Amino acid sequence: MAEKNEDIGFKKDTVSKLLSSFFKEDKTRLSGDATLLVAEMLKVFVREAAVRSQKQAASEDCDQVDIEHFEKILPQLLMDF
Amino acid sequence: MSDDKDETQQRLKAAIHFTVGRLCQKTGEDHRRGFSRQAVAAIAETAFRQCDVFAKDLEAFARHAKRSTVTSEDVKLIARRSTALSIHIQNKTEELNQEKKSTGKRKSRDTEEESKE
Repeated sequence: MAEKNEDIGFKKDTVSKLLSSFFKEDKTRLSGDATLLVAEMLKVFVREAAVRSQKQAASEDCDQVDIEHFEKILPQLLMDF
Repeated sequence: MSDDKDETQQRLKAAIHFTVGRLCQKTGEDHRRGFSRQAVAAIAETAFRQCDVFAKDLEAFARHAKRSTVTSEDVKLIARRSTALSIHIQNKTEELNQEKKSTGKRKSRDTEEESKE
């Protein structure tokens, strides 16, 4: 059975550890809600990247989404975020 | 000591890569166009780096508000550039608040998770 889009996501624990590793100060903490929201942001980011890359591949009549397609949409994606 | 940190980063990268792979697979299924391994790896790497950007911004916003804990208010700020994204995050925040109100269980589960760490 195909999984619903809502089921796939980043684990709270992973996001929490990841963000903490990037903080510059030791004292910076992360609330539970913030972690879940960042996980959601990341999911949207990846989904946007995937869908836009896919559309790019489609516009070039390609059967597979390759790295070039992702590279072409990357600048706009970063600006939109 | 630095080896441990590298190992942790590697494991986190792998975790990100895994979920990115699944999301790409789902998108590929929906549009009947598969993603090359390179494409998935590139998206995963970019997502990983985007986390760094998020983290630095969140830390700065919290510090600006004279807090040491990053909250949902800070996350709302990083979503400000896109109206649709902003609204989506706001809705998610309200969803989380609703869940907290309806089941007090969530908070105790949260603290359970934290003490396990």
